[in-house]
Amino acid sequence: MGTTEALLSALIQLSEPLALLLLIVGIVLGLIIGILPGLGPPIAIALALPFTFYLDTVPSMVLLLGIYSAAIYGGSISAIAVGIPGTGAAIATVQDGHQMFKNGRGGEALGFSLTASVFGGLVSTVCLAFIAPLLADLAAKFGPREYLAISVFGLVVVVRVAGDNLFKGLLVGALGIFLTTWGLDELNGTERFTFGSYHLYEGLPLVPFLVGLFAVSEALVGAERALQKVEFDKDSLSVKLPGFKQLAKMKDNLMRSSLIGTIIGIIPGEGAAVGAFFAYSEAKRRSKEPEKFGTGIPEGIVAPETANNATVGGALVPTLTLGVPGSPAAAVLLGALLIQGLTPGPALFSDEPDIMYAIFIGLFIINCLMMLIGLVAIRFAAHLIRVPTAVIVPTVMLLSFVGIYAVSNSFFNVGVLLGAGILGYVVRKLGYSIAPLSIGFVLGPILENSLRQSLTIADGSIIEFFSTPIGLVIYIALAATILWGWWSGQSK
Amino acid sequence: MLSKRIGNIIFAAFLILASLYFGWLAEGFETTGLLATSGLPSKFFPQLMLGCSAICAGIVIWHYVVHDQKQEFVFVTSSDARRGALILLVSIISYFIWRELGFVPMAVVFGPLSLLAMGIKQIGIYVIVWALSALIWVIFTFVLGVQLV
Repeated sequence: MGTTEALLSALIQLSEPLALLLLIVGIVLGLIIGILPGLGPPIAIALALPFTFYLDTVPSMVLLLGIYSAAIYGGSISAIAVGIPGTGAAIATVQDGHQMFKNGRGGEALGFSLTASVFGGLVSTVCLAFIAPLLADLAAKFGPREYLAISVFGLVVVVRVAGDNLFKGLLVGALGIFLTTWGLDELNGTERFTFGSYHLYEGLPLVPFLVGLFAVSEALVGAERALQKVEFDKDSLSVKLPGFKQLAKMKDNLMRSSLIGTIIGIIPGEGAAVGAFFAYSEAKRRSKEPEKFGTGIPEGIVAPETANNATVGGALVPTLTLGVPGSPAAAVLLGALLIQGLTPGPALFSDEPDIMYAIFIGLFIINCLMMLIGLVAIRFAAHLIRVPTAVIVPTVMLLSFVGIYAVSNSFFNVGVLLGAGILGYVVRKLGYSIAPLSIGFVLGPILENSLRQSLTIADGSIIEFFSTPIGLVIYIALAATILWGWWSGQSK
Repeated sequence: MLSKRIGNIIFAAFLILASLYFGWLAEGFETTGLLATSGLPSKFFPQLMLGCSAICAGIVIWHYVVHDQKQEFVFVTSSDARRGALILLVSIISYFIWRELGFVPMAVVFGPLSLLAMGIKQIGIYVIVWALSALIWVIFTFVLGVQLV
């Protein structure tokens, strides 16, 4: 399929009524879930994942991408209005956003967050459209040693940013990878940890595991604070969009934060929260009045909100081109591609170019529509913020149970969902991050196959692992990342 | 109240024991036929990961025993702990109700039991949750055509 044909096919698929409807539904659902405190993009995508089983690829992808983008933005509304970030990505927004709200400038704050989110999302989509095909061309030359290097890179980066204790991150990362070794060995058919159950021949299923890890564990944590009430002045929830002059003054902040978000999104494992914090600290560092940050200024909203939405396009780069998720939400999105029978990787660009174009164009449209739908959503946000957690918890749990059963007609998969939920709950309560666990579970098969193939190619020699130029560059980048982390830790 | 320190030590110790058990199980993997001698044995990678887990768990235990003496708790209050434990129990019971008695009985009791576990007293919330459960059943059964047995 040529480029023009693929583009035309993508546009035709996107212009179908169902695709357009799901695109809007995705944005609305994403906003709702983003606004509800505690439910972030991975949970939002996880809950919608079973529905994609009944849809074609393009409608299901626009539904999930709409949810992903809008959920990240939606988190800023509750961050500004009540000082409780709807998502981790909006934590940096609380500082100035909620302060502006308390100073009686809530409408302005909400306007800046919406505009900045849309701007960041659009820039990162353009970057995605240019970078992803180039990286896919390069990745087509990857062999087992390069895939091993990129998987190790992704995993180490996730572990490094996942919490205070490096070894706790490594522990759950290794646990996630170990769980992927259950089932028949892909290389020689040996039964591993099947315990005599034919359900386990294909290993632990990806989608129930991820939905359990994100949605069920969050519901269990949410149940503990079910009696907490949210109080705020709902009359302050109006929007005042910034003028062009105000935006022009912040053009450097907007562009810088967009690029920071996109680049951080591309690095496997670095999520929207990291991008938002990085952009916020960079905006503060470059400001002529850094002391005003935290007192309620628009620059303190624009930087994190631009960056966190820019991570969406960035995170899709490694997810689509290498099959290595750029964030926990992208890991769940990767599960959606697998449900559709597509294997993310460089071949996706040559085999299904129309779907790739549909994803790029769809994401662009989603960001444009988010501006309009976001304006309306803010008016209803007051009702959503006050939805009791007691209503959310059983609904999320039941939806997860039914959704997983609907995909597979299997109680075993519902059991895996529940088991993963309990595991996620325990590790969260003990202060572990579930990001390494989820990314480890997604990267496990790539890591094992590439390691075993690499060792066979290298005839047991470790030095051979570094003998390919691309692999060597990735390992050098990994070493630089570790050294940078160590150096910045020392300088603090 | 369970402190984070004790909780982490117990969890890490449990993982070390589990790693030993699964590592021992992996010793029994048998590959037959022509593929038996090709490449690395099937036990290599799981045992490598189990080894990593066990070493990290050991370091976590050492960290909490030697360095981290902070008095932080796993749950903020005992009520939080009770709600968390009860909702977990309700989820497991509901799963078995679904398996043994069918979806509808499970959906009928799941919402109210969850709300009771969370200590909710407002009757309106019970009604809303019931209505949402019914809506989920209607969507999956009549819109998506899923047989929720």
